[in-house]
Amino acid sequence: MTLSHVLMLASALFCVGVYGLLTRRQAIAILLSVELMANAANLVFIAMSRFRGGVTGQVFALFSLAITVAEVAVGLALVILLYRSHADTRVDLASELKQ
Amino acid sequence: MTPPVLYALVALWTPAIAALLLAILYPLRKKGQPAAVVAILGSLVSLGAAITLFTDRLHDDATHRLVVPWIGSGASTIAEVGVHVDGVSASMLVVVTLVATCVQVFSIGYMHDEPPEAYGRYFTYHALFLFSMNLLVVAPNILQLFAGWELVGVTSYLLIGFYFKKPSAARAAVKAFWVTKFADMGLLFGLLVLFAASGTFGWEPTLSPPVATAVTLLFFLAVVGKSAQFPLHVWLPDAMEGPTPVSALLHAATMVAAGVFLVVRANPLFEQAPITRSIMLGLGAATALFAALLALVQTDIKKTLAYSTCSQLGYMVAALGAGSMLGGFFHLTTHAFFKALLFLAAGSAIHAVHSNEITDMGGLAKRMPLTATAFSVGALALAGVPGLSGFFSKDLVLESVEGKLGNVPYAVLMLTAFLTAFYMGKVVFVAFFGKPSGEKAAHAHESGPSMSGPLVVLMVPTVVAGYFGATFAKVQGEPYHFAFGAGPATASALGLAGIGLAYAVYGRGPRAAVPAPIAMIDRVAKTRAVNRVYEWGFRNVTLVLADGLAFIDRYVVDGLINLLGWGAIEGGRKLRPIQTGLAPDYVLAVVLGVVGLAVWAVFGSWR
Repeated sequence: MTLSHVLMLASALFCVGVYGLLTRRQAIAILLSVELMANAANLVFIAMSRFRGGVTGQVFALFSLAITVAEVAVGLALVILLYRSHADTRVDLASELKQ
Repeated sequence: MTPPVLYALVALWTPAIAALLLAILYPLRKKGQPAAVVAILGSLVSLGAAITLFTDRLHDDATHRLVVPWIGSGASTIAEVGVHVDGVSASMLVVVTLVATCVQVFSIGYMHDEPPEAYGRYFTYHALFLFSMNLLVVAPNILQLFAGWELVGVTSYLLIGFYFKKPSAARAAVKAFWVTKFADMGLLFGLLVLFAASGTFGWEPTLSPPVATAVTLLFFLAVVGKSAQFPLHVWLPDAMEGPTPVSALLHAATMVAAGVFLVVRANPLFEQAPITRSIMLGLGAATALFAALLALVQTDIKKTLAYSTCSQLGYMVAALGAGSMLGGFFHLTTHAFFKALLFLAAGSAIHAVHSNEITDMGGLAKRMPLTATAFSVGALALAGVPGLSGFFSKDLVLESVEGKLGNVPYAVLMLTAFLTAFYMGKVVFVAFFGKPSGEKAAHAHESGPSMSGPLVVLMVPTVVAGYFGATFAKVQGEPYHFAFGAGPATASALGLAGIGLAYAVYGRGPRAAVPAPIAMIDRVAKTRAVNRVYEWGFRNVTLVLADGLAFIDRYVVDGLINLLGWGAIEGGRKLRPIQTGLAPDYVLAVVLGVVGLAVWAVFGSWR
């Protein structure tokens, strides 16, 4: 297993995340896609740390996890609010600012 | 600091201090009478300093200067302010301060019925005027003269419009301001050209002939405006809306003479421009005749005198155009005395009769002997009757123009001398002799001491100034000779003939039937042709130009700004549909943007 293998895996994960982000309409699915992308980035951090030495990457990965947790908390709160007001979680319902 | 400089500074600054005190101390101004005391004290000190300075010139012909740097450029000085004392400025200072003092004393009585506040304002303006005029007179360079020139223009505006509640006075003030301001452009551009060509604002740089001609022609434009020469004379008759003492001081004796003074001062420049001098000679003579013809048909005593002033200024300009600085300057001096006297005497009569019309007066000689004497002496001097001051100076003018430009100006000025005597005779006979024409004229009585005193004082130089021609010339450093030859004899004969004819026509009071030639001139004068040309020009040139500029401002300058605003609004309207409000669309945009950035980051180096 070399660095490039891991990076390819991370890229694949990221692309899956982007695909999900673009195609899904459910807010939960979009949040999941974002998580995938974030974890692809974390994977790169850790892989760099593993193959290049040093702990900076690992520290960054930990930070990233913490931030992702906060982000998910906010995201899920939004999803709940969306559900309360529209009785559904499709994001294309939330276009009131346009009207 | 040499004594002459000190005298000049005192003459310059005492009226300024008086004006400042009156301007700042409102309670003083509000009281009225104390304001007059302050202003007149300032003028008296100024007069004393000027006379001392003049007597000092009799045994000292050196030029004294005291200047301080004003406008600097790096280490060098472009222009200075200060005082320049020589024969010209010393003589002019005496004329200005003497007439100003007489006029201010006269005003105590003349303006007596004004409310105290207006009274104080009047004397504040007078003090300011005297300072401005002195500033102009002692100017060591053209730039300071320009400052004084504009200041007297402002005070002229303020004093013409003194009765600003009267629409005609307000209009006259604005008209005087516009006309002279238009002409003042000439002085401004002239001194800019002078500076560009010579690097100095001094009086006597040597210039190349075309530049000298351009500069002097531009200066002459200012002279035409300030000294009310044809065709810019239109403001002076209207300026008679001001109080009569103001007309005496500003619009007869001193301010209008500033144009003549400028030419006297800048004589070294005008010497280099024979073309300008020829134009001055022609225009001066033309104005003298033209204004005298108009004076013939006036029935308003002040307007007669105003046109007469235009006419006499024409004499001065003609003399200067003929190259006789002394002739122009001497006539300026004697004219200042006798015309101020005439105006003050007229003011005294107007004060008694409450009308400017000579047909409302009549027979005033019996009831106002001093006023009548003063006016008659002034009129005789103006008519050039031998022995009085006007005779000597007018002959000096006539002598200088003799033989110039095919002798036409000489003949014109001779004719004007005749007309002058005629119209002055008419005023004297109609206003002061014959029978009173109405209740007011019948019950007129002599004015009080503050008004008759200045008349007596001014009568002295009006009679004797002519005999001091040699002294005057010596102070200017010019040769002087006076010989009673054919020229003076003809001129005085014409003058006497004019008075005789006036007696024949008007000796028995105003006539119902106006003589045919005068009726003809009257018809022409009633057309107000010159004024109508300006009015036409204002309507069809100035206003059209202004409309054009307003159009450009509204549709081009403003249009550009409006176009920008309209573009932003319309652009926003067109771009609005791409904002769908749908989150996935924004996400797509972000992703595409990131992909674009990535592509640029990787392949951007191909550039």
